[in-house]
Amino acid sequence: MAVFKTFLKIVNRNKFIIILYTVILITFAGFNMQTNDTSTSFVASKPDILIINKDENTGITNNLIKYIQNNSNIIDIEQSEEAINDALFYRDVNYIIYIPENYRQDFMNDLNPKIEIKSTGDYQASLAEMMLSRYIKVANTYKKDLNNEEDLIKRINETLEKEAKIEVTSKLDSDSLSRATFYYNFLNYSIIAGLVYIICLILSSFREEKIRKRTIISSMNYKKFNRQLLISNGILAIILWIFYVILSFILIGDIMFTKHGLILIANSFAFSICSLTIAFLIGNLINNKNAINGIINVIGLGSSFLCGAFVPVEWLPDSILKIAHILPSYWYIQSNEIIKTIEVVNIETLKPIFINISVIILFSVGYIILTNIITKNKRKIA
Amino acid sequence: MFVHNFKYSLKTLFRNKTLIFWTFAFPIILGTFFNMAFSNIENSEKLDIINIAIVNNENFDKNEILKEAFKELSDENNEDRLFNTKYVNIDEAKALLSDGDITGYLNIVEEQPKVTITTNGINETVFKFVTEEIMQQTGIVNDIATEQIKNEMISGNINIDYKKIYKDAFEIAQNQEAKIENISSNNLSYTMIEFYTLIAMACLYGGMLGMTAINQNLANMSSNGKRISVSPTNKAKVILSSVLASYITALIGLAILFIYTIVALKVDYGNNSPLIILLSCIGSLAGLTMGMAIATCLKASENTKTGIVISITMLGCFLSGMMGITMKYIVDKNIPIINKVNPANMITDGFYSLYYYETLERYFFNIISLLIFSIIMIFLSYISLRRQRYESL
Repeated sequence: MAVFKTFLKIVNRNKFIIILYTVILITFAGFNMQTNDTSTSFVASKPDILIINKDENTGITNNLIKYIQNNSNIIDIEQSEEAINDALFYRDVNYIIYIPENYRQDFMNDLNPKIEIKSTGDYQASLAEMMLSRYIKVANTYKKDLNNEEDLIKRINETLEKEAKIEVTSKLDSDSLSRATFYYNFLNYSIIAGLVYIICLILSSFREEKIRKRTIISSMNYKKFNRQLLISNGILAIILWIFYVILSFILIGDIMFTKHGLILIANSFAFSICSLTIAFLIGNLINNKNAINGIINVIGLGSSFLCGAFVPVEWLPDSILKIAHILPSYWYIQSNEIIKTIEVVNIETLKPIFINISVIILFSVGYIILTNIITKNKRKIA
Repeated sequence: MFVHNFKYSLKTLFRNKTLIFWTFAFPIILGTFFNMAFSNIENSEKLDIINIAIVNNENFDKNEILKEAFKELSDENNEDRLFNTKYVNIDEAKALLSDGDITGYLNIVEEQPKVTITTNGINETVFKFVTEEIMQQTGIVNDIATEQIKNEMISGNINIDYKKIYKDAFEIAQNQEAKIENISSNNLSYTMIEFYTLIAMACLYGGMLGMTAINQNLANMSSNGKRISVSPTNKAKVILSSVLASYITALIGLAILFIYTIVALKVDYGNNSPLIILLSCIGSLAGLTMGMAIATCLKASENTKTGIVISITMLGCFLSGMMGITMKYIVDKNIPIINKVNPANMITDGFYSLYYYETLERYFFNIISLLIFSIIMIFLSYISLRRQRYESL
């Protein structure tokens, strides 16, 4: 019990760090998990468009604006050029359309007036440009034969209203599943930065020279001491893990109660255990508290960036992902990504996840062996 | 005395491994991670060629316009290529879709194109949009051709060349030009902000250097400080030389970081080198003076002070977009006052305005803000440093 009591004391002293990392997790996760409406019918992606109309809002100009409005999210920004430029840079809008003065008149006089745009160049912007050029082309075509503006507008709208039939086959609630995956991917950082850091900190307190000397001469068997230390750290790891899981229930909701959610939780448990062994390795390797902080930061941020905890995996360069194979985080995050795409949960579809979890367990065993080798050589104090 | 103390301050700073790790190595490591993670983001956000399938049945074979249009949009030599199209039967299409090899497939049922997909998304939207565009075009061609045929009939022409009329109509619909001119700046790479916050972080971490140097001279912080306090030297000289030593250390660290980010990570800071150097020097000064002020104003242990410098720096960087670029925009837009007093953002925003804007007003606004910030910090340190006396320690 003595070990456990000391352990609790140290935890208490470091509660600030524990709370800090948890708060960071919540803010981060919350930011990226704003709820979207989920539905199984087709919802078209809508680019964010800003229209700056210098022409009067009637006739053909008005119709153009209406068409864009119906097919995009119109963003309203304070009309200063600086605010607009900032919005474009930070992707608050994807596409800005400047309708020039006298657009309507020039158009009706067959001048095919030029429209200026600003574009972020991403796929949303490409879609926006398709829309705009579509409208102009249709309008130009009909303009050749029609000079009456009302008829022209009617013709344009009739044409643009034609829709293709669409069928969505998947019934997977992909939106909330990807939110769950995002949360659990992010957990990679929280677990390493939070859990591993705390455990290393506690271990290093136990390994301060005076305390170590005191423990060694005490009547307590060192094996018993190590066992108690391991159990207390394991309990802490599990408590933190439970806390993160509960948080996921609050933040994500329903989907966590499905089989998919259960697999995510199981996967994160395996990873927590692996992190515990990492913590033991680092804690036994390094005694300097300042150095621990640096190392954990590098490992935590490094594995998160390399394996796709922060940035979606599909956006990472292939070469980086190849390097990432040597980290347990990679296998953990891969499992999360696979879960997102599984439609029917059965032994067959879960097979790759079992493989990934086995790899994580192998990593853990490897770390334990490594720790034992190192501590064996370090037990004696000269 | 000045030179002597300067030399030894420099030596002690460079021998402090933890300090050098956080101020020199950590920004470089973090920058490398940023580069690994973000180097591909902006390319992934561009519209890729979309894999689709078309059910190659009789109906599709009959529909000339649809056939031609998809053939052209899938042509490898076409600059505006959108699709990579497979022509398959319905079962193969279903299999491809459920394996996730294609975004969706097109099937013509009762003369009407039907698009089948598995989920919502941008590729799906583009696929549907293009299909509709082709349908609409078909409609237009029919409209024009019908009109034309009607005209010919009215004018009494009996030998109507239907094929030619349709071909002409198709050409008219095809050859419309939309005059759209892109006037946006070329420098739109928003991941650059990450690297600017990194520079900001490095500048403010320089505060730790300033703090360590000052602590050496404070009687309540170190034995070294006690020794200096009782010595008959001009305190201003001692403090100034320590500060200068830490400023130079910080600048060396920053220079290494700049060289690394420019040469290895290909970060684009814009083209105005003198202004970039000016901003870094003043940014570093702001960080240093912040560290000084914290070191002198607070009566706390060295660890606490370091913790405060790190927390302020990280909070500042968080608000200026290090952990998510949108954060900077959200704060700038909704609560601008926070980022107007946030030194990390002044530095980030300074680089951003050099990179993105052509005018320099915003840049100089940030430079002046940084100078004001530094002056306030120097003033604070001055007040608490002057006439220090200890009855007991």
